[in-house]
Amino acid sequence: MQLSYFRRVAAGGAVAALAFAGVGAFTATPAYAATSKVSVVHGIPDTPVDVYVNGKKTLENFKPGDVAGPLNLEEGDYDIALTKPGEPIGSAILKADNAAVPGGANISIAAHLDAAGQPKITPFVNDVSKVAAGKARLIVRHTAAAPAVDVRAGGTPVFEGLTNPNEAKGDVDAGNVKADVVLAGTDTVAIGPADLNLKEGTATIVYAIGSAEGKTLDVVAQTITGLHSAPGGVPSGDGGQAGTGVGTWWYVLTGAGVLLLLGGGVRMATARTGRK
Amino acid sequence: MTVRNRGALAALAAGVAALTVAALLACAAQPARTVGAAQASALASAPPTATASGDPSVPVTAGELPSSAETIPPVRLLIPAIDVTATVDAVGINERTNEFEVPPSVDEIGWYRYGPGLEADAGSVVVAGHVDSAEQGRGAFFRLRELDQGDTVTVTGSDGAARRYRVVAREEYAKTKIPLDRYFARDGKPRLTLITCGGPFDAKARKYRDNIVVTAVPA
Repeated sequence: MQLSYFRRVAAGGAVAALAFAGVGAFTATPAYAATSKVSVVHGIPDTPVDVYVNGKKTLENFKPGDVAGPLNLEEGDYDIALTKPGEPIGSAILKADNAAVPGGANISIAAHLDAAGQPKITPFVNDVSKVAAGKARLIVRHTAAAPAVDVRAGGTPVFEGLTNPNEAKGDVDAGNVKADVVLAGTDTVAIGPADLNLKEGTATIVYAIGSAEGKTLDVVAQTITGLHSAPGGVPSGDGGQAGTGVGTWWYVLTGAGVLLLLGGGVRMATARTGRK
Repeated sequence: MTVRNRGALAALAAGVAALTVAALLACAAQPARTVGAAQASALASAPPTATASGDPSVPVTAGELPSSAETIPPVRLLIPAIDVTATVDAVGINERTNEFEVPPSVDEIGWYRYGPGLEADAGSVVVAGHVDSAEQGRGAFFRLRELDQGDTVTVTGSDGAARRYRVVAREEYAKTKIPLDRYFARDGKPRLTLITCGGPFDAKARKYRDNIVVTAVPA
């Protein structure tokens, strides 16, 4: 089983390189941000690997279900190779040569099975835009050898008809939800249910991995923090007792004072003059 | 002394009295003087983060579903310098206004539950309270603008432990200009940020123009 995966992965190398390069096409690349954050997600069951980047061993014995990174990679082309643990790079089981990493992006590279059970690599661009105060982002990626699914939160479908290798996402109220994955349009639970703690100001990315046929369906999760926004304001008083600054009454008082002084002074002066 | 003269003297005296009162009121009405603004802003600048490029060890985590993080919410606030002893409630965001949900009772303080708790070793623990309310009168933070550098703030957490903070800054900002991102930051040095309203009051809109922000660091 494992060996057959390897062979298929090797064959899929060229396709993977293309897919990887494709990331650049739909990623805005600001001139000022040259590095990208790159994470690697392992979603192929029973197949630990070593990961080489530009010929250098970057991950050792990387296990299914693990998430590596983020690596800060300069914008540019990279050679990526996966080997069986301990084996030389020459006997790589999957290669992606000249994979283009655009600048200023946040990318997750998933090694996973396609809908038919063939191993492949899919790069995803992570939405790391800010979420509103009080919200969390939930991203679900179908990277399993399984048909279309619905994702339910608290029994209600939130993402429907999700297929491999696509994602669905939404910004939701932060907090706990009980989530499960069902075959699209049915109540047949494929994965879960599981308690999901969606922390405010973060993106939680859940990958459905494994194979329905092989009864290895599972999830891998990746969290991206630092997407929070401040509240719109802090309203904390409507009484006015602590108000500073001067109002109209102050100008009236000051005006009256000045007039009284002037009037009194003039009168005093004329009275003195009169007495002489 | 003629009657006329006496009247003139009285007018002079009244004039002086009126101006004196006006001057005193104007002085009292000055906005709280800002102190320690540079310190407050320095606390917010995060230490440089190490980059992983060139680093042979890449962090690898088991891709488990995120579970509830352990936070220690503040439950009680003590500020002897301005006679504050208040209960602290965990609050979030007002759905309608997208603003900080300050507790409706003016005697209670709200802690921003989405930000750091007392356990955090980075970022700003934010508490906010009413300066006053039209219905309930003076609030717990009525005298927040009197806090000065060196004053002590003691916060008790849900774990029962009291933590002492020392005031380093007091600032006043127009609500339209306040750098909220800095005060609600989850990075930078660990600090406590206390917020209320202040400045001139718009009686028609029933709103204060400004926010008073006090920054304190672990003592």
